Amino acid sequence: MTTEKGFEPKIIGFLCNWCSYAGADKAGGMQEPYPPNVQVIRVMCSGRVDPQFVLSAFEKGADGVIILACHPGDCHYKEGNCRALQRHSMLSLMLGQLGVEKERCRLDYVSAGEGEKFGRVIREMVEAVHKLGPLCLSQED
Amino acid sequence: MKIGIYFCNCGSNIAEKISSEAIIAAAKTFPEQPYVTIVDFICSEDGKLQFEESLKLEQPDRVVVAACSPRDHEATFRRCLINAGMNPYLMQMVNIREQIAWVTEDPAVATEKAIGAVRGAVMRVTLQQPLEKKQLEVCPDALVIGAGPAGMKAALSLAEAGRSVVLVERTPFIGGLPVRFEELFPALECAPCMLEPLMGDLLHGDHAGNIELMTMAELVEVTGFYGNFIAKIRQKPRHVSLHECIGCGECVEACPAITMNVFNSNASERKAIDFAFAGVLPNAPFLMEEICLRYKAEECRACKDACPMGEDVVNLEEVETIVERRIGSIILATGAGLYDASQIAGMGMGTLPDVYDALQFERMLSSTGPTGGEIVTTAGNAPSSVAIIHCVGSLDDDHKPYCSGICCQYAFKFNHLITAKLPETTITHYHRELVVPGKEAHTLYKHAVKNKNSCMKRYDGIKDLAVTVDVSGQQQVSAKGDAAPADMVILCPAVIPAEGAGKLSALLDVSRDSFGFFRELHGRMDAAQSTIKGVYLAGACQEPMDTRSAMLEGMAGVGYTLAGLQPGRTLEIEPINAEVDETHCAGCRLCVSVCPYRAISFDTEHNASSINAVLCHGCGTCVAACPAGAITGHHFTNEQIMAEIEGVLK
Repeated sequence: MTTEKGFEPKIIGFLCNWCSYAGADKAGGMQEPYPPNVQVIRVMCSGRVDPQFVLSAFEKGADGVIILACHPGDCHYKEGNCRALQRHSMLSLMLGQLGVEKERCRLDYVSAGEGEKFGRVIREMVEAVHKLGPLCLSQED
Repeated sequence: MKIGIYFCNCGSNIAEKISSEAIIAAAKTFPEQPYVTIVDFICSEDGKLQFEESLKLEQPDRVVVAACSPRDHEATFRRCLINAGMNPYLMQMVNIREQIAWVTEDPAVATEKAIGAVRGAVMRVTLQQPLEKKQLEVCPDALVIGAGPAGMKAALSLAEAGRSVVLVERTPFIGGLPVRFEELFPALECAPCMLEPLMGDLLHGDHAGNIELMTMAELVEVTGFYGNFIAKIRQKPRHVSLHECIGCGECVEACPAITMNVFNSNASERKAIDFAFAGVLPNAPFLMEEICLRYKAEECRACKDACPMGEDVVNLEEVETIVERRIGSIILATGAGLYDASQIAGMGMGTLPDVYDALQFERMLSSTGPTGGEIVTTAGNAPSSVAIIHCVGSLDDDHKPYCSGICCQYAFKFNHLITAKLPETTITHYHRELVVPGKEAHTLYKHAVKNKNSCMKRYDGIKDLAVTVDVSGQQQVSAKGDAAPADMVILCPAVIPAEGAGKLSALLDVSRDSFGFFRELHGRMDAAQSTIKGVYLAGACQEPMDTRSAMLEGMAGVGYTLAGLQPGRTLEIEPINAEVDETHCAGCRLCVSVCPYRAISFDTEHNASSINAVLCHGCGTCVAACPAGAITGHHFTNEQIMAEIEGVLK
């Protein structure tokens, strides 16, 4: 674990293939740097993000998780992003009960054209988790 | 397991930020002990060749390509794997260009991030499985529902392409709405004449043999899925043989039973056995059982006796049948109707004698209609003043919020035709908005504006208008109290889906929008596809549209069918889809409810869900939803994603 000052959050980003992942590629095309803390896991749809992926990411050392979906109404699979939203609300509740700040798990929408927004969302997320500091999960065993 | 990492420098694009030496060094510490090969431009012709040759030489079990975005070249590199004799799904790409090199300032940080991403990919790819595209036999033939412009165009074009088509029409005739009109906007073409070649080819042309036309028929059941539907169609009895009837009308003459003709908006009479209207195709009468004396337990066979073609042409004993047809795709072309203007207070529809909706007026204009084309009031006089009210129920949150798009154009057509027939008659257009889009519509609009006998009056809301009759018996339209005589009032009501759309929607599981029109798969990209694979939308059943657009949409449905289903070619099923492990399925049916494509059904016999691979789009929503973990999302399994998470976090 790093000290408070030198803390660099580890964040997992689940990106849907059609909008957000394309938005991240667009940000790449713009060559505008953003913090390197988010490792991207590509899924076909944000609806594929199983809450256990998020819990597992925290368990395996992530300080934050960000799920990026197509904008409401724009889902390539019609309504997968609505499922992601429902699951995210449930996750927020559950994480609260586990003592994990809800800011550590964010859901947002990035379209294929929103390269600028992708960079901004990543910056905000990294900043937010930076403020919260490292995630300490008490280990029972 | 032997794993190969192929690292692309992408010239300096990747190389200047991410050190390949560091990747090689890091790979040495991975327990999987992958080999690393550096390529300069792996997507170039030389690069691909080098990649393929290396794969053939090294024969790795799994491959990681660290290069650009998989959105750029995943398909390219999968083909390389195939060329090297490998299963293409045994590769995982790492996007170190767009998502690392190009967006990370410090090369050391970029390299560290790339190492993490590569480690994730190595751990993931170890768990990836070879996948095969499955092949499915399909039926290339189509069912078209509705024989209006869109349906006829679709059926004929498919027939010309050699496909067998079942064309199901609810009414006794083909041609839809426009065949009942005298002239069409924007060019005042005679509608039946314009449709004649299409209808002629459909019935008797070189390819008519490929079309099974079923009039007075409706779809009652559909099972199966894209490429393999089984449709059950109810054929109601016409009581007249379409093949043998010569259309002479002797039976009509002889028939003693009379009723009102719904195809003339109930403005003229017809016999129990009669043509829908003059000039109708197929040129044969039909018998209305509810009017025929025989169905009222009376002895009558006047029609049968009158027929000069013999005993078999009129069949009074004919009964309804259900026929079954196998088809691969379905084109819905069920058309539109008009909003019931009697639902709008103050319009006088149904209460005042000389208020007509646009369809009723089209029939009045038609030479085959109830007045033979004469514009007359119920008192039998030519109107000296006509009011045309636009936007009746359209652009109106109390009724239909959308613009129906076609009304202004036919209203200006009415203006032209009324003036042509009654040069002294004054015409007042009451409108909320005027919509005359495209390159042709302005002509009739300008004509109406220049018409010295007509004027335009804008109103704000339909509540500002009232159609009334004053003490002297004069019908009038008052706009905010300002009354003007209107011997005849023509309403342009909102265009709505034709009756029966709800029933079809339930039958086919095709969704509808809040207005009742069939919902498109995508409003812009796939506006002619329904939400169910293999069910296409053509014409005004999807949204209000004119004949031109309906014909084009009919062709869109044809395009999808011809491109997707080809005789002798199997349907390739993408292997990135979901599959239920029956033994683990708890039978909760959550998956059925979350699937956006209705690809999951519940098998009550096995008490387990089952996913139709043809319909599955591979989104994985059901996989995430399954509380029993009984669904595998191929190529995106829980284990693969978990391994990737673990790898990038190490």
